[in-house]
Amino acid sequence: MNKTKILLIIPAYNEEDNILKINNSIKEFNKKNKTNYDVIVINDGSKDKTGEILDKEKISHIDLIHNLGIGGAVQTGYKYAFYNNYDIAIQFDGDGQHDINYVSKLIDPILKNKADFVIGSRFIDNISTFKTSFSRRIGIRIISSFIHLFARVKVYDTTSGFRACNKEIINLFAISYPLEYPEPITTVELVKRGYRIKEVGVNMNERQGGVSSIHAWKNAYYMLNVCLSIIVASTRRYK
Amino acid sequence: MNDKLIITVIIFALVLFFFVFQLLRKGRIPVKYALVWLFAVIIIFITSIIPDLMENLAKMLGFELLSNMVLCIFITVLIFVTIILTVMMAGQKKKTTLLIQELSILKAELEKKK
Repeated sequence: MNKTKILLIIPAYNEEDNILKINNSIKEFNKKNKTNYDVIVINDGSKDKTGEILDKEKISHIDLIHNLGIGGAVQTGYKYAFYNNYDIAIQFDGDGQHDINYVSKLIDPILKNKADFVIGSRFIDNISTFKTSFSRRIGIRIISSFIHLFARVKVYDTTSGFRACNKEIINLFAISYPLEYPEPITTVELVKRGYRIKEVGVNMNERQGGVSSIHAWKNAYYMLNVCLSIIVASTRRYK
Repeated sequence: MNDKLIITVIIFALVLFFFVFQLLRKGRIPVKYALVWLFAVIIIFITSIIPDLMENLAKMLGFELLSNMVLCIFITVLIFVTIILTVMMAGQKKKTTLLIQELSILKAELEKKK
C-alpha cells in the first residue's frame, strides 16, 4: 500500500469554516490507519480567509491566481497529480460533504485492478443517510437516464464529486477536462473511451458550513446545459 | 435604387471605412481582423456604383425588394461573424485557464522551495 502514491484533490472556494477540519480529519485518519494519503488543496481564488488558513497551517495547497470555477480548479489538482507522479487521485470536496473513511472503499477496485474510475454514490447500498433535496434527486435522475441513453451505462449518483481514478485517467484529465459540468461529462467521456467505471456506496454529510457552489440546480437552464453536453460528448469520436 | 439612397449608402461606406482605418492606424485591431470589414466596404461601394447589378441579382434570387436582399445579406454575414467571435472567445478562455493553472502550480512550487 505504501508504494502506491495516493492524492486527495480538494477544491476549495470560500471554505474557511471547513478546510482546517477536513485537513485534520485526514491527518487523523492517516495516523490511525497507517495510510499515507497526500493532500493538495486547490484554493480557487477564495475571498475569505481560506488562503490565510492554508498558509498558517502549512497545508499543501495551490492558490489559483484567479477564480476558475470547479472544473478548472479540479483539473489543476489532476495536473499536480500528473507532475508529481501519483498513481491514484481522489476528488474530495472542501465543504465537509465527503467522508474520509470511505476513501479506502473508493480506491479498492482500482488497487485490485477491477476498475479505472470509481464514483462514490449516495444512492447505492443505502449507506448515506443524507440524500439531498427532492428537486436535486429528480435532476440527478434525469441526468442519470440521459447518460444511460447516450453512453449505455447506469450511473446513479451522476453529480457526485467524490471520485477516484487511476494513473491513466490522471494523465488524461491533466490534458483535457471539461470546465463546465465536469462530473456527468467525464463519466460519458470515460465510458466512450472504454474505461471501466464502478460506483460504490459511500456516506455523505450535509454541508458543514459555507454555501454550495451549485445553486443553479433547480434551474432548468442548468439541466438543459448538462443534457445537451451529454449528447455532444457522446457524439464525439475518441481514439 | 434612387440617387438619394446611393448617396446615403456611399456615406455609410465612407464612415465605416474611416472608422476601421482609424482603428488600424492606432493599432487597436490587426489587419487580419480588419480585412473582413474593409472587404465589406468595397462590396458596398461596388453595389452603390453599379445599382443594376444588385437589382438583377435580387430579381434572380426571388427578392421582391432590393432592400430585403441587402438586409438579408447583412444579417447573414453578422451571424457568421458573431459565431466566429464566440469560437475565438472560447479559445481564449481555454488558453487563459491553462495559463492560470500552470502559473499557479509553478508559484506553489516556488513558495515550497523558499
